[in-house]
Amino acid sequence: MTAGAAVAAPVRPLLVTGCGVVSPAGVGLAPLAGALESGPAAPGAPEDSPDGYPPQPLWALPELPVAEHLGTKGLRHVDRFTLMALIACRSALRQAGAEGDGADIGVVVATSTGSLRTLSEVACDTVLQEKPYMVNPGNFPNVVMNACGGQIAIKNGLRAVNSTISGGQVSSLAAVRFARTAIEGGRASRVLVGGVEELVPISAWGWHLSQALDAEAPIGEGTAMFLLEDAEAAREAGRTGLAEVLACEVGYHGVDDADGRARGLAACVGRALSRSGVLPDEVDVVSVGAAGHRDMEAVEERALRAALGRDVPLIRAATAVGECYSASGALQLAALLASWQEAPDGDPRTGLVTSVGDDGNVGCLVVRRWL
Amino acid sequence: MPDRRVAVTGLGAVSCIGTGVEAFTAAIREGRNGASEISSFDTDGFPYTVACEVKDFEPERLLRRIDTARWGRSALFAAAAARLAVEDSGLDPGDLSAARTGSIMGTTAGESQVLMEVVDQWMSQGLKAVDPRLVPMAPASQIANAVSAELHLTGDSQTIPTACSASNMALGYAYDLVRTGQADFMLAGGADAVNRSCHAGFYRLGALAEKVCRPFDVNRSGILTGEGGAVLVLEPLEHAQARGARIYGEVLGYGVNCDAKHMVNPDASSFAECIRIAHRFAGVEASQVGYISAHGTGTRTNDITEVTAVREAFGDHIPPISSVKSMIGHTMGAASAFGAIACLKAIQEGFLPPTANLEELDPALGPGLDVVPNVARPGRVDVAQNQGLAFGGNNVVTVFGRVA
Repeated sequence: MTAGAAVAAPVRPLLVTGCGVVSPAGVGLAPLAGALESGPAAPGAPEDSPDGYPPQPLWALPELPVAEHLGTKGLRHVDRFTLMALIACRSALRQAGAEGDGADIGVVVATSTGSLRTLSEVACDTVLQEKPYMVNPGNFPNVVMNACGGQIAIKNGLRAVNSTISGGQVSSLAAVRFARTAIEGGRASRVLVGGVEELVPISAWGWHLSQALDAEAPIGEGTAMFLLEDAEAAREAGRTGLAEVLACEVGYHGVDDADGRARGLAACVGRALSRSGVLPDEVDVVSVGAAGHRDMEAVEERALRAALGRDVPLIRAATAVGECYSASGALQLAALLASWQEAPDGDPRTGLVTSVGDDGNVGCLVVRRWL
Repeated sequence: MPDRRVAVTGLGAVSCIGTGVEAFTAAIREGRNGASEISSFDTDGFPYTVACEVKDFEPERLLRRIDTARWGRSALFAAAAARLAVEDSGLDPGDLSAARTGSIMGTTAGESQVLMEVVDQWMSQGLKAVDPRLVPMAPASQIANAVSAELHLTGDSQTIPTACSASNMALGYAYDLVRTGQADFMLAGGADAVNRSCHAGFYRLGALAEKVCRPFDVNRSGILTGEGGAVLVLEPLEHAQARGARIYGEVLGYGVNCDAKHMVNPDASSFAECIRIAHRFAGVEASQVGYISAHGTGTRTNDITEVTAVREAFGDHIPPISSVKSMIGHTMGAASAFGAIACLKAIQEGFLPPTANLEELDPALGPGLDVVPNVARPGRVDVAQNQGLAFGGNNVVTVFGRVA
């Protein structure tokens, strides 16, 4: 088979019929839009840590309004990572009018670590407890990385395909691609898809030790979840939405240098545009993912210039929510939708969400405003 | 979208009973038990000290490109199994790199040994003293990335951490990417490494066997944790035929659903529904299935749930059903991919993989159950189904068939 033999066909548009966001800016799209201008109004502080925190701005959620969104029952063994996602999912399902209708709804959660809080509690128990097996049995089911996806299904009765996707910085875009493939393949009629990231001491120190971020780049946390379905089916059912999701392409360029990665991302943008039937000239705005990344920010901007042939206005979600790793792509999409809610109808109408990670993964999603 | 038929043309296994698909298959045929005393972590204080570790894993002998010091044990298992699978396929690695080829890998615990090393350093010296080298190695996503880096692939590179059925989810997704023309070739499978947290957790749940894993046996006592890597090469059938490749079989389809009931306890009727979904997508009737590779963990809950579900989906005529976990333990995110390899070798060579360590079939599982006790039997298999269940209620059943 020659290179490029798999020239995939144009995609069918998917419609975002509901969206839920929990971020340092607050709950929902409106506070996120405000934070894109001037940062989050009142981000929370992370919990105290005996290890302290690295010298880096830290933006936690201002609060986690659990009772308001989820009630008070059946949440005793649910960790904070999953609580964040449950709030976003409930909001998305409610907005779409899809509550209580889950037999054919799937779930795709982007994370590359799962709940690091739970994972490290169990791992530390094996070191610190009197006997190494004295791990907290209430914690153990939450230690698997698909615990969040499983709880989303349980709490909302969602019985179709349930997956979790790890692609580092690009995880959320890879999850959207998985969701699209699942809907096209008839494995779910609708899919709740997004990413989750929690700010805990181990992740903050991880960023610091990796030296991947600029010194002043804030480390954040949050989640954004979207309910997607085939746009034509939604239209026929009389449903309306926030935006159309077109092609989502990804690739791996981990063995390449910075130039190779920029070329890889540019090619990925080109494929996504082509499969979406969108010309480079038609792109009005790009919601970028590598803002604040020491090496990758320049790679992303160079790739965009190469793929689009000009400078395009950029939205930097990380300036509103901080660095959110696996959840970045989902929060970038939320930031794009938030900016569109603030702008008058008409323009801008076509946007990209792009991502490039230090591991070499790249991704591009094409989004069209729903008018 | 084009809808292409998808063949399996390469198999790679790194297991406690053999490295390479031929060694693995020979051991499966004889029902070899791969359990041994744990050496990968200090078992002091653990009442049970047996697992299915790959004692002779030498990644530097199997890998050609990636630096083994920069990747965790799970990633190295995946990359080594992928390298073996590509060699087995007869495809030119340069052609694979030049085409749109990707890697989708399942896992349960990700880079668990890397995380345990981080935690050990954290507990002794604090987080700021953790070796920075470990940080980029820790995310689960590095498992698929290791495969992509080793084989210089530029397509999709994602890890699917959906617990114990993860590599069936990975196989299903990779199949969809090739079937729909979004990829030319895919490497699909899974990897996990034996680790202290997993061993502790299953012991604490009361689900760990002391020494022997005996699925379907009245004296079963639980799982043994296992490890390894298992990878399949997926290729458009037409392309495989055109190059005269050895074709193990075809991915006929898969079924996937979610119980949405309980994080840990499986649900028989939901799993039966998953089997029916798989048959529908694969275009087969239950009566055509000649062999079932069971999830077969070795716990009573799994045996009862799985056999009840199979009865519900198959009626009175249940095909031979066996568990490779009786030999290699529960390899977690790699488990379904090892099961898939057993299915494809069964189709190709005409045998029924056994359930090892069986002394007395549990009568509670009901009549008419052939678990292929202890050693393989000759038998023609045209359609085989491979079952995976997982924490989170994630059920995935893949179906493979002989290419007529």
